[in-house]
Amino acid sequence: MLRLACRLGYVNSQTKLHLMQRTRSFLSFVLFSFPFFLAAQTRHTVSGTVRDKKSGETLIGASIVLLGQSRLNVLSNAYGFYSVNATPGDYKMVVSFTGYQPDTVAVSLVRDVVVPVELTAEGAQLQEVVISANRNSNNVTKPLMGVQKLSINEIKDIPVLFGEKDILKTIQLLPGVQSGGDGNSGFYVRGGSIDQNLILLDEATVYNPSHLLGFFSTFNSDALKDVTLYKGAIPAEYGGRLASVLDVKMNDGNSRDYHASGGIGLISSRLNVEGPVGGDDKGSFIVSARRTYADVFLKLSKDTNTNRSSLYFYDINAKANYKLGDNDRIYLSGYFGKDNLGLGNTFGIDYGNSTATFRWNHIFNSRLFSNTSLIYSKYNYDIKINSGNNDIGITSYIRDYHFKEDLQYYANASNKINFGIDVINHTTSPGVISATESSSYNPITVSDKHALETAAYFSHDVSVSEKLNMNYGLRAGLFTVMGPGKFYTYDSSGNAIDTASYGSGSIVKNYFNLEPRFSVSYKVTDVSSFKVAYTRTTQNLHLLSNSTSSNPTDVWIPSSNNVKPEIADQVSLGYYRNFEANKYEFSSEVYYRDMQNQIDYKNGAQLIANENVESQLIFGKGRSYGLELFFKKKVGKFNGWVSYTLSRTERQFTGVNNDSWYPANQDRTHNLSVVAIYKVNKKWTLSADFVYYSGNAVTWPSGKYEVNGQVVFLYTERNAYRMPSYNRLDVGATLQGKKTKKFDSNWNFSIYNLYGRENPYSISFQQDPGDASKTQAIQYALFRWVPSVTYNFKF
Amino acid sequence: MKTRKRIRAAFAVTAALGLAVLFYSCKKTVTLKLNNAAAEIVIQGEVTDAPGPYTVTINQTVGFYKDNTYPPISGAVVKISDGQGETDSLTETATPGTYATHILQGRSGNTYTLSVFAQNKQYTAVSTMPALVPLDSVTFETTSGFGQHQTNAVVNFQDPPGIKNYYQFMEYINGQLFNKEFFIFEDRLSDGRYISNTLYMDSTYLQSGQDLEVKMYCIDENVYNYFFQLNQSGGGGGFNTASPANPVSNISNGALGYFSAHTTQSISVGVPNQ
Repeated sequence: MLRLACRLGYVNSQTKLHLMQRTRSFLSFVLFSFPFFLAAQTRHTVSGTVRDKKSGETLIGASIVLLGQSRLNVLSNAYGFYSVNATPGDYKMVVSFTGYQPDTVAVSLVRDVVVPVELTAEGAQLQEVVISANRNSNNVTKPLMGVQKLSINEIKDIPVLFGEKDILKTIQLLPGVQSGGDGNSGFYVRGGSIDQNLILLDEATVYNPSHLLGFFSTFNSDALKDVTLYKGAIPAEYGGRLASVLDVKMNDGNSRDYHASGGIGLISSRLNVEGPVGGDDKGSFIVSARRTYADVFLKLSKDTNTNRSSLYFYDINAKANYKLGDNDRIYLSGYFGKDNLGLGNTFGIDYGNSTATFRWNHIFNSRLFSNTSLIYSKYNYDIKINSGNNDIGITSYIRDYHFKEDLQYYANASNKINFGIDVINHTTSPGVISATESSSYNPITVSDKHALETAAYFSHDVSVSEKLNMNYGLRAGLFTVMGPGKFYTYDSSGNAIDTASYGSGSIVKNYFNLEPRFSVSYKVTDVSSFKVAYTRTTQNLHLLSNSTSSNPTDVWIPSSNNVKPEIADQVSLGYYRNFEANKYEFSSEVYYRDMQNQIDYKNGAQLIANENVESQLIFGKGRSYGLELFFKKKVGKFNGWVSYTLSRTERQFTGVNNDSWYPANQDRTHNLSVVAIYKVNKKWTLSADFVYYSGNAVTWPSGKYEVNGQVVFLYTERNAYRMPSYNRLDVGATLQGKKTKKFDSNWNFSIYNLYGRENPYSISFQQDPGDASKTQAIQYALFRWVPSVTYNFKF
Repeated sequence: MKTRKRIRAAFAVTAALGLAVLFYSCKKTVTLKLNNAAAEIVIQGEVTDAPGPYTVTINQTVGFYKDNTYPPISGAVVKISDGQGETDSLTETATPGTYATHILQGRSGNTYTLSVFAQNKQYTAVSTMPALVPLDSVTFETTSGFGQHQTNAVVNFQDPPGIKNYYQFMEYINGQLFNKEFFIFEDRLSDGRYISNTLYMDSTYLQSGQDLEVKMYCIDENVYNYFFQLNQSGGGGGFNTASPANPVSNISNGALGYFSAHTTQSISVGVPNQ
């Protein structure tokens, strides 16, 4: 292995120093050790925080290069912090970030120095986007595979349904990510199901990322800073879901000036207020809120039941941070959202997520950065049914208390180590039914389920040579199923054959899993590279969902004595190539993912308020493989991307389709997205996106018969049919208003589904109402064309 | 001040346009390429606590785009035994594929075994007739919303505590079966309660002045599960179940259909004005 590493690295003539460094870094890789010994030779560190000059917002993922020294550029972390060390001397440090003008700072390393960096946004210059020579080629160099990063700036011009810019809709335009259907914020990544995506908002898990049955996502773009989707090589610091991680980070708020901004749309409005707390970048706050008012139109109805109906959601994001000293900063962030759907006073459901994150950044020294987080997350729903003398309520929730400690050690320009621990206490209440005396239902409480999820991880970013970079890591996870509660054992037909009672705090079952993560990139030329990655992920919380759309009443259950952890192994291989001084990016990746202990339901499973819900489940295997192509033009008046995915996702369950492999519901052969944005002049920006995908696998009847005088359908095979293919073109235009120092505004116009194609949302089968001797298939389409207008302002 | 004015103007414009946004959902008939599965046998049989004869019908499935007529299977050997030593051999009636009992009288508590020999295959099914739970009354519930008034029947009865009960309801208007879904109810979440259960329908609604007959059956668990699964097997995506399948039948050897021994009682009532 040593020989291999040397051969790969030894291409050009190397200085003795380089060779030494490489050997050392390689040694550290072999020894797993935190390479403190690397500091034996005198080195000094330059560290600091990268910020936006105007707002003081920290910049995540800015690239820092010490010219003539760094082989690998260092990226600023989630809090804008960077650290680079080198032997004593005078250096030029270049700091660059997409959408900003790069800055060059002279650094004299005679001792450790702290250099805060402030970059100016290119757009703020009110001139055409300049193609800077320094545009980075991180996508080629870094051993990151299957990672997509979106800035809110990038998505703001892309036309979307109802004109509400939405990161969950936008990531569905990326390779390897499939939409859950028209207007659905649920998404599938590389054959994983919707619940196999870990969705984080400032580190807190968001269990239900959708509003209004999926037409909106829980993420208010005004409040967001950075969105990263990991679908291939998932870093060891993330765990808990099989398919992907969507890491969403909120804005910190403007630490220099008070500002308000907002938008007024056809069915929703937003308001955002931010400003400094204390002077000198000591702190800042931001509060963003929005509410839909589609239900206002219901109020216009004369029908009392209709005008008493509700259909709205609101959400609030709030965040504040404060600097305690040179080396300490605390952050408090929270999200609260609520959906309210009701039909007169007969039926109502409200549901929502709430999260809170307290964080403490501490810089131990210029090379060791620490973040400690205390996180709370809850998703709950509350149903009220009032019919005749039946008054019943159904509630359910999942709640996490989460402690997290992450440390980042910047050993030198070629070595960085991340390590930490993670402890989550999960409680789920699958269902509580409350009923009045006169109700037809009994009050029932399905017992709470308790679990403790602990993990420790480390990962090492190492630059073995100019050309060979890698990241390897390990995550060790322990999932403990806890009492109190009764735990049943079931026979094959789902009858409880044994019951064991456990007291509070006692351990029912432990599942220990090691999750190795590995990725490597080999630079063939300055602008092209090959990458390979292997990732094992496990999942111990499973969403019980029996429909193809996201449903707010789907229930999460933890692993138990009956439900084993889901395990996935993924291998991916990629070729990356940039063109014309990194103006164009091209990437292609192939992947294969194997999934164990996948969950499905028996026919006619009873999932509601069922103490024995685990007896309704069946377990099987899954596999998924595909090819993803991505071509992106990042800069210029005309920019955008083309994304294409060819994929196959299959499952195998005992008793389904004669135990053979069959296409999963989310199996979709072709998936094409084209996004184009054209900046016509200072006033107008035009945009369009086009989506084509082949139909999902569905189960349709292959015959019919009659039961009790009613036609019923004969099914011969699961998922043997295909929905018709889907295509849609959306267009948008943004008109920039007159910009003054005090006021900035724009109008955003868009049309969703411009040519009005009736894309099938669902197809159902019934007796022909006009001719009782026939049956027919009925196709439902949701949106023919949806125009929208939004007015955005900032002052 | 100017800023606020501008925002207010923008609000007025967008609110006006909001009314114009009537995003609509559309529905149309489509012709799909559906396979014609090989014909499969469908057996339906009943024994009730009302006087006989009871019938068993045997026919075959047809392709989706064929007419709703199902070829009968004649010449089958059909027997029902009552577990008390009595076995009734059914004979085919004037309607091909329909077989009738001669001497059998259904009673609660008895376990009935159906045996069918047809097309060189043997099928058997077992069903136990539960005790009768009296149906008290049939009332009506009218809900309105989105411009529609819907009247649905409500069945009222006392569920006996401590035992599992499964119910099925049928609606008839002028002797014609009216309901377009299978009405079933179990006491899993309602044991021992006084039940008022609305028989909701999505497609057709009761009209005032109609004479409605509601039948209530007490059915066994397997039969309940059969109809529960049938109700879930709409399929087709969207908010429907993702994976519709044939319900698990209580008849052996892969036959479709069911065999149910159940009690029966009925109440007739006029649909009132809303």
